[in-house]
Amino acid sequence: MPPRGPRTRAELALSLGVLALGLAAAAVAFRLPEAAGYARVGPNFMPKVVAGGLVALGAWLLAELATGGWRSRVDDDPAQRGEHAFHRGAFLWVTAGLVAQMALIRHAGFVLAAGALFACVARGFGSARPARDAGLGLSLGLAVYLFFTKFLNVSLPAGWLAPLLGGAGL
Amino acid sequence: METLAALATGFGVALQPANLLWGVVGVTLGTAIGVLPGVGPALTVAMLLPLTAKLDPTGALILFAGIYYGAMYGGSTTTILLNTPGESASIATALEGNRMAKRGRAGPALATAAIGSFVAGTIAVVLLTLVAPVVVEFALKFGPAEYFALMVFAFVTVAAVLGASMARGLAMLFLGLLLGLVGIDDQTGQMRFAFGVPELMDGIDVVVLAVGLFAVGEALYVAAYQSRMGETLEKMSGSLWMSREDWKRSWPAWLRATAIGFPFGTIPAGGAEIPTFLSYAAEKRLTKRPEEFGHGAIEGVAGPEAANNAASTGVLVPLLTLGIPTSATAAILLAAFQNYGLQPGPLLFQSQAALVWGLIASMYVGNVLLLVLNLPLIGLWVKVLAIPRPLLYAGILVFATLGAYSLHQSWVDLLTLYVFGLAGFAMRRWGFPVAPAVIGLILGPLAESQFRRAMAISQGDPAVFLERPIAATLLALTVLLVLAPWVWKVVRERRALR
Repeated sequence: MPPRGPRTRAELALSLGVLALGLAAAAVAFRLPEAAGYARVGPNFMPKVVAGGLVALGAWLLAELATGGWRSRVDDDPAQRGEHAFHRGAFLWVTAGLVAQMALIRHAGFVLAAGALFACVARGFGSARPARDAGLGLSLGLAVYLFFTKFLNVSLPAGWLAPLLGGAGL
Repeated sequence: METLAALATGFGVALQPANLLWGVVGVTLGTAIGVLPGVGPALTVAMLLPLTAKLDPTGALILFAGIYYGAMYGGSTTTILLNTPGESASIATALEGNRMAKRGRAGPALATAAIGSFVAGTIAVVLLTLVAPVVVEFALKFGPAEYFALMVFAFVTVAAVLGASMARGLAMLFLGLLLGLVGIDDQTGQMRFAFGVPELMDGIDVVVLAVGLFAVGEALYVAAYQSRMGETLEKMSGSLWMSREDWKRSWPAWLRATAIGFPFGTIPAGGAEIPTFLSYAAEKRLTKRPEEFGHGAIEGVAGPEAANNAASTGVLVPLLTLGIPTSATAAILLAAFQNYGLQPGPLLFQSQAALVWGLIASMYVGNVLLLVLNLPLIGLWVKVLAIPRPLLYAGILVFATLGAYSLHQSWVDLLTLYVFGLAGFAMRRWGFPVAPAVIGLILGPLAESQFRRAMAISQGDPAVFLERPIAATLLALTVLLVLAPWVWKVVRERRALR
């Protein structure tokens, strides 16, 4: 048996993940119509092959795990690569930034969403100056907004700032 | 002769003022973005892809060729001054380049990287010019069965050689293939894996996948595992000029590296990663000053950098002549062609000769531009590197999400981007290679349509893949490649038993 630890747990979760993805894909693939025609293979053929491949690879990874852990040609441990341990706060701040952007972009507009994203990500990377970061993020967002809408003719949502941007003739 | 005439036409296209301008913009933009730590050529091209939707195809492709070269060049500056390789192909450069910078020889290290890239890039483009028409001639005889076999071969070699293990490489390939199936089936109009979500109906855009894996995944990873470490930016010290001895030691390394890099680039072996290491190993073995290796030997920078450039140009041979991308960056370049309804391959050399040869000629021009523009601008790139890390990554994510959002103006694409970011984080953490997923996404649908076309021609008889010699050989090689490690293991165990 391989040593039990976070490493084995991660490998188990990822192997099962590949397997589960394959099974889910198979469930969809088997409900697709045949519609084969001359080729005798229709739109459901490749999905079945790909689902089968994922199931087989999930099983392969599980088999490696059961016989001493995943085979590795290179080190895949952060400590071995000279990196520090998982920093949960950093990970969560970056996630928070991306989620905030998703939530804000439609109604609050591109500029405010970019400001929120920028400030959260900077915070995640260890910045201790949220006001400066928010200011920089808003300016960057505004610059990008103007460049895209005025110069490239790509529309981006103005959101809550619409009266302001519109009022300034922008 | 015919090739020369075609190339002359190509220069006529590449040297038109507008196209020349796109070349300059491309190399400059590519270098400026490629120099950012953690941003490799694949991400650079992916981020800029949505912004060029309104250019004419020739100008856009010349722009992308410039970005491709520029990003690679910018990456070497980062590697030498910061010791954070932006991509795996730069790891070998980091070994010696950063040590040279630490010893106050950053100038010659950057110079040998730049001039070596120019020499290797130029020789490689000459080779590309000579080889491409030959491959095209050969490929014109290919039917759907041969193309399908070739794609399977490319899939499996790329998945087998990259990443921490073959199982993980293949798992990522199949993930990419699955993502490639999402959306409307071209041949029957059948909706697959879209679950009624409108954003998924036209399929998953390669930009979203690449930016999710390379930008969001990378940002999550660096935040979680590297953001609390100090890092030192080496000063731009030492004259940019190389001494007579530096030249003497660099020349042979550049040429050897080109000889290693170009052929490796043309075969589906995952691009520039392997040849850079081979070149490093070759220089280490051949040097007259082995004691300097590990402490900043100039051959150790000259070789891998030249190999990187030669291989990256070699990658364009299968991309342009067969439509087969063999690296993540090449897959995104293929998506750039597809945006204009162009399918690289032998037919493109006939139907769009001016475009293809203009693109090839622009690579000659791009190499010169890089050398002329970048050595004087090094001071500027160093300033880019001095941007504090929190602001840098925040800025990268603003631009990365912008590209994905501008596709459909929908937050669903941002959600997809984040999901791919989580996947990219997990892949980076647990040794799953990214390139097979990107290649699977872009090449999978093409492989499927070639497969079904071949089957339609043979009236549903799968023997067609075994009756045609080229297809059968390629498929046999593929099987051999997958089984070789096991066979090898069994043979060794048998021997050990005796």
